Amino acid sequence: MNLAVESVTKSFPGVRALDGVSLTLKSGEIHALMGENGAGKSTLIKIITGVHRPDAGRVLLDGKPVEFGAPRDALAAGIGAVHQERNLIPRFSVGENILIERLPTRHGLVDYATIDHEARRFLDMLDRGIDTRVEVRTLSVAQMQIVEIAKALSLEAKILLMDEPTASITEHETAALFTLLRKLRDDGVAIVFVSHKLEEVFALADRVTVLRDGKIAAADEPMATMSRQRLVSLMIGREERVARLGKRTVDASEVVLEMRGLATSLGHRDVDLSLRRGEILGLYGLVGAGRSELARAVLGGAEMTAGELRIRGTPARIRDVHEALGKYRLGYISEDRKQEGLILMHSIKDNVAITIWQRLAGALGLIAPRSEISAVQPFVRKLEVRAPSLGQSVGNLSGGNQQKVSIAKWLAANAEILIIDEPTVGIDIKTKTYLHELIGEIAASGVSVLLISSDMPEMITLADRILVMHGFRIVGEVANDHRYETTSKAIMGRIHAAGDARPVAAA
Amino acid sequence: MSEEAISEAPAARRFKIGALSGQFGLAVIILVFWAVFSFHAPGFLSSFNIFNLGRALAVDIIIGFSQMVVLATGGMNLAVGSIGVCAVMTSGYLMQTLGLPVWVAVIGSLALGGALGWLNGFAIVRTGVNSFIITLASANLFSGGMLILTRAVPLNALPFSVGAFGRMKLGFVSPMLLIALALGVALFILFRYSVLGKQILAAGANTRAAAMSAVPTGRVIVIAHTLSGVLAAVAGLLVVARLGAAMPAVGGEDWLLPSFLGPVLGGTLLSGGFVSVIGTVLGALLVSTIRSGLLVLQIGTFWLQLFLGLILLFAVLVDRYRGLYVERQKIARP
Amino acid sequence: MKVLRSLLLVEWSGLLAAIVIGSVALALVSPNFLSEFNIYVLLRSLCVSLLVGFAQMVTLGVGQMNIAVGALGGLVAIAFGGMMEVYGVPIVVAVPLALLIGAAGGLLNGVLTVRTGINGFIITLATASAFTGIDFGITESIPFYKMPPALVAFGDQHFGAIPALLVAPLIVAALLGLFFSRTVPGRQILAFGGNAQAAELSGIPRGRTVVLAHVLSGTLAAIAAVLAVAQLGSAQPTIGADWLLLSFAAPIIGGAALTGGYVSVLGTMFAVVLIALIQNGMVLAKVDPYWVQFLLGALILAAVWLNRWRAIRTGTGG
Repeated sequence: MNLAVESVTKSFPGVRALDGVSLTLKSGEIHALMGENGAGKSTLIKIITGVHRPDAGRVLLDGKPVEFGAPRDALAAGIGAVHQERNLIPRFSVGENILIERLPTRHGLVDYATIDHEARRFLDMLDRGIDTRVEVRTLSVAQMQIVEIAKALSLEAKILLMDEPTASITEHETAALFTLLRKLRDDGVAIVFVSHKLEEVFALADRVTVLRDGKIAAADEPMATMSRQRLVSLMIGREERVARLGKRTVDASEVVLEMRGLATSLGHRDVDLSLRRGEILGLYGLVGAGRSELARAVLGGAEMTAGELRIRGTPARIRDVHEALGKYRLGYISEDRKQEGLILMHSIKDNVAITIWQRLAGALGLIAPRSEISAVQPFVRKLEVRAPSLGQSVGNLSGGNQQKVSIAKWLAANAEILIIDEPTVGIDIKTKTYLHELIGEIAASGVSVLLISSDMPEMITLADRILVMHGFRIVGEVANDHRYETTSKAIMGRIHAAGDARPVAAA
Repeated sequence: MSEEAISEAPAARRFKIGALSGQFGLAVIILVFWAVFSFHAPGFLSSFNIFNLGRALAVDIIIGFSQMVVLATGGMNLAVGSIGVCAVMTSGYLMQTLGLPVWVAVIGSLALGGALGWLNGFAIVRTGVNSFIITLASANLFSGGMLILTRAVPLNALPFSVGAFGRMKLGFVSPMLLIALALGVALFILFRYSVLGKQILAAGANTRAAAMSAVPTGRVIVIAHTLSGVLAAVAGLLVVARLGAAMPAVGGEDWLLPSFLGPVLGGTLLSGGFVSVIGTVLGALLVSTIRSGLLVLQIGTFWLQLFLGLILLFAVLVDRYRGLYVERQKIARP
Repeated sequence: MKVLRSLLLVEWSGLLAAIVIGSVALALVSPNFLSEFNIYVLLRSLCVSLLVGFAQMVTLGVGQMNIAVGALGGLVAIAFGGMMEVYGVPIVVAVPLALLIGAAGGLLNGVLTVRTGINGFIITLATASAFTGIDFGITESIPFYKMPPALVAFGDQHFGAIPALLVAPLIVAALLGLFFSRTVPGRQILAFGGNAQAAELSGIPRGRTVVLAHVLSGTLAAIAAVLAVAQLGSAQPTIGADWLLLSFAAPIIGGAALTGGYVSVLGTMFAVVLIALIQNGMVLAKVDPYWVQFLLGALILAAVWLNRWRAIRTGTGG
């Protein structure tokens, strides 16, 4: 089955998401859809799957125009999707979630035996270990994504769209998925694959379409003619620029944050870590290694069951972020900017000033609007946040600008120690480079940075030293010579040596 | 996305425009009702009626404020009426049974209201249970407890000054209304310009994000509930003044609907993160206007309920479509 | 201990234990508790309450709240009584008509909620006010006293200690249990309550599902109203006035999730039984009736606390 998108345009309040976009999907082909955040990929997928309706243009299935009033119309037409967000019913079983679109019935009643049997069939293609009868809410994030993929597979759709399907799953599962996708392609399914991981796209796709700012930058180009350089420049409109960081000297004698033999209720054991002043200490690990969880534990989100945490030499037990900033001048830039890093319905001004309201207040706890604006302005300017005014609600900004606001608030807070968690996930390449340079500057100004990232190039660009985490333990330390080949090998070597370590069960 | 640099003054956000025009719309509706009522019943504009309307309005406004400060946190306070009646009976007990001076009774009742509100907030923050459930339970605990202690006996031998205050006139307006408006000004300043107010709104809009941004969310939510309790107690005290007696029938579930009407009509979000003090005042004014008008026109107060329901529906519908209209306008611009 | 553990897992096990313990205690304290008459009174008080609890349970399942449960019940009650007394409509016709009115009220709630996109809490807050207004406006607070004798007789009929009326909520309970666990529309309602976005993306029709839940809720409230009229022997406009609290308390104590996606028919039933038991106990022990309200609040807190404790212990906590 072939699908064609013809001159589709779609706008939302304040932004034109798609502008005259056309592309064709042929059966028996894996088609990569690339573009920076805000380029329009998710919107295009949502139009094809019936979530949104185009303002102009049309969608054709095998040459015939179709109009999807709701997702079920697209499903009925043989189009299936795995979206970016998790779309599972928490208290339903795995099996029921997989077959939710068309629950099998016997004599009018739901047939659970058939559900388990059918769901098992598709689940086994990816992971035999998940029981179809357990409630989905008991699964891990990675397992949930597997269930989502199984769900899409069970549709036996002729056209399958996958939006960042490997975001949370392990290497092993990714390999299984790719084998599966190739088989489906050989069976004649048209597959659309959206991913930020260029390595994956090059490994998997037959053809590629690139969106930029809602318009087509390249359409239906064969993967063979693409190079990484060309792909990136198509996405950002110019050459990818590697971040240039100035020289920094790190004072090895002053340790600002130290962990000795730290164990947490989340499963960490024997964590030793020392962050020096003005240093960028990298904490690298794959998804599920336990890095963000370590940060959370430090910030009071979990108990430290053994060992010691010291900040500037004195032992510390932090209750919450409020205490972290107020007492220890420690800040945390969350990896989940939409849920944790920002208050989407509030303005840029309110989002940036939130950490400094206390400081700005005069007598009676009142803040003069003028002082709020003048406190926020410099940081917004410095980070080059693109928005018509400070009063703009943050929810309407692009991903990159949102992340800038999220960072601005911590710069304004004058944190001396910053834990930065996955700063450029889902961010366009241009902004990514900018943020890397910014982090370098921050460190140069004396702020100590603990950088958590699963993005290897990013880690190697930025970090002075790299700690490798796997299975909730530190499995090695690698000096960074800023050369991708050598350092990445050293890091991956440590991870493989650590083997298939499972985190110790929570006490 | 436009590439312009950021301007100095924050432009009116979509919210503000929406809220302002919503308040404007409310004001228009209120004026229309006043015109209609006074046309059909000249007694509507009499100083007697205005005085009574003002007193009822004062209570409605403060009940609305009590709910509003909790709505700001993204929760609900179903115990507004219960706390109110506890404050009522406490003041009666302190003044009549214990014979304490009026000002002591006032302080005592306000303190009790605050304490009960604090209990709610503490329970909500400590247990993480939804405020709906906690306040549903506490409403029953507080009302039940009050009934057990007072055996539902009204206290109407209160000091003379209480009733006298209730009857006091400043021109044609009761000082109660001035108290309500003064509280309004204080709340406006709180939410617009104070650290606490901003932190409450942040915690209400996205508790997790606020906590991760160094806002002491637990503390501010408890404070919001305490404040709500104090406001409910103020409303209770005003009713005591108006009645000249402490009656256990006051408050309770009667206050539930009015406590939501004012804020919702006025644009305060149920989901938290945004309040409109002016809107709440206007919303309460609309409700009081209709109630007073129906009374003066001698249309059965039975129909008041129907009217209120329809007005509420109408107001939220208008608000909804206005919001959509504003959005469509924005898209039209290239 | 494995038995204990799996018992703990069953959501309503705590309630059942409380009922058993409570009954035993009451039987010891008051000899009248186990008398046929008292059991009859106790079971009679359950009839309307069960349906009220179910009416809210259904809307909670889809992730909504129905503030108009009582108001709609009151309206249906007087419509039911009125059509029989004033227009001489026979019972056989009046009962289905009454249910239809309840369904229509629910339909209004559902359609308004879906069409306007406004929170169901506000919509039903408004319609509750409207329904109450119509209720009192039509009757001017005067009940319809002259109910058909056949209806009143049915309301009083009993087999030993078991009131005939109890048949209705028991049948409804069985049907609801089947509906939510084994039928597609029932699963769709729970799917929507569990994760509305996911449900929509999976093709579950949002409008139909939400409206269905509201229509069911209105119908159940109507059944409760009809039973109330039969029990009282008159159609009072005040019927439903005290339903709101109970309608939330029962499902919540019974383990339903406030945000939707999970309901327990058995749990709701046990919760209603426990509440009725407490009220009955109060009367028997000649305890101040004002304690009932206080204890209800305490009961809600206890149930919620117990649920949390259980969730943490069995590792299904969030």
